[in-house]
Amino acid sequence: MFETINIAKGVNVHVNETTQFKTINFSIKFKDRLTKEKASARSILANVLQHSNEVYPSHTALRMVLDDLYGTSLYIDSSKRGNEHVVTLNVETVNDQYLSEKGVLEKVLNLMYIVLFKPNFEHGLFKESIFVREKNAIVQRIESVFDEKTRYAQQRMMELALPNHPASITSNGTIEDVENVTNEQLVAEYKEMLTQNEIEIYAVGDVKPEMIASHIRDFFHFKDREKAIAAPPLELVKPAQSHVLEYEDMKQGKLHMAFFTPITFRDEKFPVMQLMNGVFGGYAHSKLFVNIREKESMAYYVSSSFASQFGLMFVLAGIDSKLEEKAVALILEQLEEVKKGNISDIELDQTKALLTNQLKEALDSARGQIDIYDQYMELTDSFEPEFMINRWKNVTKQDIAAVAQKLSLEMTYFLSGKEDEKDA
Amino acid sequence: MHKVEFDQLEETLFHEKLDNGLNVYILPKKGFSKTFATFTTKYGSIDNHFVPQGETEPIKVPDGIAHFLEHKMFEKEEGDVFQEFSKQGASANAFTSFTRTAYLFSATGEIDKNVKTLLDFVQSPYFTEKTVEKEKGIIAQEITMYDDQPDWRLYFGIIENLYENHPVKIDIAGTVESIQDITAEHLYTCYNTFYHPSNMVLFIVGNVDPDQMMKLVKEDQAQKTFEEPTEIKRIYPDEPKEVAIKERVLEMSVQKPKVFYGVKPEKLDLIGPDMLKHELAAQLAYELLFGRTSDFYHHAYENDWIDESYSFDYSLESGFGYALIGSDTHKPEILIKEIKHTLQNAIEKWPFGQEDLDRVRRKKIGFFLRALNSPEYIANQFTHYAFNEMNLFDVVPVLESLEVADLQNAFALVSHESQQSVFTIMPPAKDAQ
Repeated sequence: MFETINIAKGVNVHVNETTQFKTINFSIKFKDRLTKEKASARSILANVLQHSNEVYPSHTALRMVLDDLYGTSLYIDSSKRGNEHVVTLNVETVNDQYLSEKGVLEKVLNLMYIVLFKPNFEHGLFKESIFVREKNAIVQRIESVFDEKTRYAQQRMMELALPNHPASITSNGTIEDVENVTNEQLVAEYKEMLTQNEIEIYAVGDVKPEMIASHIRDFFHFKDREKAIAAPPLELVKPAQSHVLEYEDMKQGKLHMAFFTPITFRDEKFPVMQLMNGVFGGYAHSKLFVNIREKESMAYYVSSSFASQFGLMFVLAGIDSKLEEKAVALILEQLEEVKKGNISDIELDQTKALLTNQLKEALDSARGQIDIYDQYMELTDSFEPEFMINRWKNVTKQDIAAVAQKLSLEMTYFLSGKEDEKDA
Repeated sequence: MHKVEFDQLEETLFHEKLDNGLNVYILPKKGFSKTFATFTTKYGSIDNHFVPQGETEPIKVPDGIAHFLEHKMFEKEEGDVFQEFSKQGASANAFTSFTRTAYLFSATGEIDKNVKTLLDFVQSPYFTEKTVEKEKGIIAQEITMYDDQPDWRLYFGIIENLYENHPVKIDIAGTVESIQDITAEHLYTCYNTFYHPSNMVLFIVGNVDPDQMMKLVKEDQAQKTFEEPTEIKRIYPDEPKEVAIKERVLEMSVQKPKVFYGVKPEKLDLIGPDMLKHELAAQLAYELLFGRTSDFYHHAYENDWIDESYSFDYSLESGFGYALIGSDTHKPEILIKEIKHTLQNAIEKWPFGQEDLDRVRRKKIGFFLRALNSPEYIANQFTHYAFNEMNLFDVVPVLESLEVADLQNAFALVSHESQQSVFTIMPPAKDAQ
């Protein structure tokens, strides 16, 4: 799928030359270790770099040149995977064969260079007003999680269950750490990102791999860098509390459950755990959906998900606040069924078919190709969907029951609506 | 079968209107592994007052029934349709909007079987009092979930402000109370009125052979019997030009205020090419006034009147539409005042010329070409356009034909003071906690 060209130690260019899309997609990923402080500083950095630069010194000037390049989209985001923090420059531009104007690609590559290497500096620091404004923007982004109660409840549970663990550190960091970042620290973080982070550069579209690699080599001048020292394996520490109940002024109760599993992305049983999660609560044919939603009419959404980087499985359900105990009992009852291996052939086949479909479908978008390749790079250097499809194929019910038996429920978190006066 | 080629876009669209009235469109996509199909009826939450098929007197049905019907289509005597799609490796789903109910699947294999399943399940209703009762608990939880989402409340809040009588102001899913009145008989009445093939569009995009797929659909439809198509009589109330409510505030559990500023269009009877031209021209006008390169955005962002949640949009359907500008904000009064000023200034003196138009036009063309990478976008948008007698693939030529005066004229229809309204969500007052 991708052709990889190494352009410096720790810097790789991966290109998928294809005519499948009408656009050309680029991602430049800067990978660093994940800490609260790093996440906080690098989120500000992402915003400051996408605000403006030396050549286009205002937000408006930069956005105007993007509009002129046929609405080329350019944004920098901050994300995490396992114990890595990733800052990504994402660019999508129209393939100029669909336009009357030519030469758009060169202009876009040049603009990517400017965004990364020609920041809006004043006396060796980021322009103060922009620094202050974007710090504030990140604080507001972190605060806004509260408005989406499902996200908020999940974040609360993680903070309580695994404090200071990469599983609970968010990619935007914390309000306190964001507020503490100084302009000097941000400049240091910026320089470290360009010179010391591992960098993966992706291009998908009707482009030649050698052309992209030589352009980046000649213009971006990324220097050699050492591979980051492998972080110690992420250990899951048993939470101090196993059940937490909190209240907010809302109508629906949000039930969140966290399970530990010894199986992670790197484990040979990873595909088995994916199937286990699918049979249990991953799809509309799963045990949770069929029993909690369809049979009991208790919920509109109820599902499980597997966070394979950390060895965590979550169950989420939106239910009437009075029904927490009943819902937990029914969910655990379904888990018991999986542990006993009470799985029908149809359930197993459906789950294999949908995992396969999902993977193939994700590869129908350029972003999907980049994300999946970037993730699986650790397991194989020439990822094709068959790599996973073949591993799912031979999994049996007994295998699934065996991994289910290793799950342990570590926390039940319930965000409840305010106690209703009418019931009192 | 008609074949329409869009040379510049390198797309070919196949179309046939079958004997039973069903419009079938097929768009093959080279290099894609997936196929995405939508089977959509022109029936949404606004169609709550109509003459049932085979009768003469109009009836009113409970709020939320189109959405309720969508849920119930998946349950059959022999079981749940999701199960069947899953067996065939397909992910199925459905959605109900103001004007449409769409059933869809995406799959990378067994496409013929999945298309058959899609056609069969949407064309074989099965409703009993028992299954209808059972669904009420699930939908009540869905409604409750939306009730807790401030952005959804904000959206419906502004629409309720803008519209006095039009049913667009009714929440698509209805309320926990209104759905209690729904019966199996209601569902059959709505089904029989609105799910006739002549009121529907099937759109298939992806890894398919158009000839073979069209044959399959035709044979399937020829084997099924349908009533003769009749004209559907829908009744919509008169809607005054002015907004219903100028200003309203709701208190909710949020961390800071949220503002939606809405503008109601003056002309709501546009259809076909006129509608397309007006909608695109008004979108470009709003892009110039409120987009990321506008003076408004620059000042609002740098002064912290808006944050990353900022959005603006203009959309139009037959009978209703709205321009919306909004953001989370610590300064709701200033933000509201600035939006009002920006509109007023543009009414008094139109500030944009050819260069501005060229820039936002290029942006919009780029956005459209990007969107054509997505089979989901193509199928959903094409159907939306088709129900309003427009063609999705006319977007680029119409954009290219627009002149500055077109933007100015379109804006004049979506700007007047009496058409403006504002809805705000405020965090609970501190002393109340």
